[in-house]
Amino acid sequence: PPETHAVARARTRSGPAPVTDVAKLCVCDLLVAECDVNCCCDPDCSAADFSLFTTCSVPLVTGDNHLCSQKAAIYSLDVEANPPERIFKLIDQVNPSVFCIHATNYKQALFFGSPEKPTPENFDQLLEQFGSATFSAEPDSWNMNTDAQSPSDANETYRYEYGVPIQTVDAFLRLPSPVVSSWCSDANPAAFLVNQATKCIRSVSVEECGNVQAVSMLFYINSSILAVNITVKSIVVQSLNGMRTLLNGSDVLRLPMILDELCINIVLGVSYHITYTDTGEIIEAAASFVLGAINKEALSIQQNFEISFTQVNTKPVPLSGNPGYVVGLPIRAGFRPQGYPFPVEINTNKYGQLTILQSTSNQDCLEIQGARTPILFGYNIISGCKLRITAAMKCQPLTQTLLDLLKGQSFPEYVASFGNSEAQDVLDWVPITHLHTSEQRIYNTFQSSCRIPVSLEIEVKWTKYGSLVNPQARIVNVTATTTTATLKQLPSGRERTIPITSSVVFTDVSSPAEPGYKAWPTINAKLPFDFFFPFI
Amino acid sequence: NNSYQLSSVPLQILFYVNGIYYIFYFLASLGMIVYKSEAFSYPDDFLAPDLALLFIMAILEVLRLYLGSKGNLTEEEAPLGLSLVITVGSVILSVYFLVWQTYVLKADVIINAVLLFTYGLESVLKVVAIAAFVS
Repeated sequence: PPETHAVARARTRSGPAPVTDVAKLCVCDLLVAECDVNCCCDPDCSAADFSLFTTCSVPLVTGDNHLCSQKAAIYSLDVEANPPERIFKLIDQVNPSVFCIHATNYKQALFFGSPEKPTPENFDQLLEQFGSATFSAEPDSWNMNTDAQSPSDANETYRYEYGVPIQTVDAFLRLPSPVVSSWCSDANPAAFLVNQATKCIRSVSVEECGNVQAVSMLFYINSSILAVNITVKSIVVQSLNGMRTLLNGSDVLRLPMILDELCINIVLGVSYHITYTDTGEIIEAAASFVLGAINKEALSIQQNFEISFTQVNTKPVPLSGNPGYVVGLPIRAGFRPQGYPFPVEINTNKYGQLTILQSTSNQDCLEIQGARTPILFGYNIISGCKLRITAAMKCQPLTQTLLDLLKGQSFPEYVASFGNSEAQDVLDWVPITHLHTSEQRIYNTFQSSCRIPVSLEIEVKWTKYGSLVNPQARIVNVTATTTTATLKQLPSGRERTIPITSSVVFTDVSSPAEPGYKAWPTINAKLPFDFFFPFI
Repeated sequence: NNSYQLSSVPLQILFYVNGIYYIFYFLASLGMIVYKSEAFSYPDDFLAPDLALLFIMAILEVLRLYLGSKGNLTEEEAPLGLSLVITVGSVILSVYFLVWQTYVLKADVIINAVLLFTYGLESVLKVVAIAAFVS
């Protein structure tokens, strides 16, 4: 909207004007253009919304209490009426104390002071007044013509701050998300620098294939973010059985259409990638699509949306802590290619470095299809499945399958000691120790030398490192213990079920902290060497 | 023998009451300025003029009451006239404390209103006394 642009430009030069009218002040109005729940002063709420409120979270808005007489806005809900309605009263509140402020001749008396915004002209003076040894001035960015170069109306750049909804030509960039129920609502604006991932259900059927706007690619790239058009980065086509293929050419717009009683090219997922500069301007926007197909029986589809922000000319480094591991972030692990001193190679997917088998509702080990969950620091996990052994199973392939199941496709060799260990510092990486133990239980007392792995336990020993008041978590040892059991040959026709488990345990092995003391001062008493002159 | 005594008794009583009231007024104003500087934001640029004017007003008041009392008792119109002129200054200062102070509390309004009323009454009585002395 044009008025917001003018306001935004004024905002970049001086702070926003304070709102002093109590009738217009509303601290619970947090959502833009949407009604906040139980917020009786929200101007976006209609009478129908008020009928659903239970109480008013902000019942009274007044000016400063010290004034002898001030305006107060009272919001209340009349629950007796049917439907409940909001009552708004503007009254004059009187302070009975004899020391109430009758008048002030000092404008900033009852408000917080607004600090001066630095400009090239007053910067030196502000630096003198408030500067300290850590204040650093950037000579390149201070251009004396900054004020003269204010953007013209035709080519406007809009500076964003964290959390501000991203504006497009007609409204806001929308990221459909579930509200109340799991159905998609298109009224959720994407906020700048807030990485979000949402999934919701959209109702669509083959008959309405071309009519539902929200399942067509055009709906998501149609609106351009002010001066920046949304480009299509990649398109992945998902078939009915779930197999995904990446399309080569991604500049063709694929709209939903009916083909062989299926509706194809419907949007199952959109992933926005927004690139911004360090001054808060958006310079690039790309969208990656996942298109799928539905058949006649489908009445609704699940759509996934996500948005991520990257700063231009930077590559985000996925850290799991700085420097110590943060509870809940994935453990970083990797491989070392042959030969020293090559650095450790880490998987670019920060959640795929060290993973453990994930228990699913289908408990059959051979049908899980490799579902794995990342190991997060500090979270002990135990998972497993049940293996049904029949007589026809051969030992060696079974052993290999179970090893793949327990350890995953690429089990790493090294684990990062700190959350921010660089790949080139080989000494910051802890090798994973592998142990093998065998279970005493013997299945079927027959002679056989088939040993299959039945459990994998990963024990991560970590210690507190650093200062007493802010200890950092550091991994010192990772041991992966594989327990094997003897599998006896089953008579034909019989089958047996054995449990396969895997677990991750985090143990704190920090030694108790010892406060350090400075050395006692020593008395340094030495006589000068010619003290006994002339006798010595 | 009242015809030989031109000094105005009500004026003298008023001077006496004014003196006592002014002591109370001065201490109350000073106390409130201290309270305001603690409770509200009272920068030095605004505090200094208010305090200075209060002390100037105290000095003027002492001078005014002395001259007025002396003039009334010795039945001379010169000190009484001078006291009247100083009263004008005091009135201006009292109006300052009533309207143009940095923070005007309700108590300020009350004590300054009483002081202005007293000044008004005194001025009338002084004019009557001067008229009596001159004639």
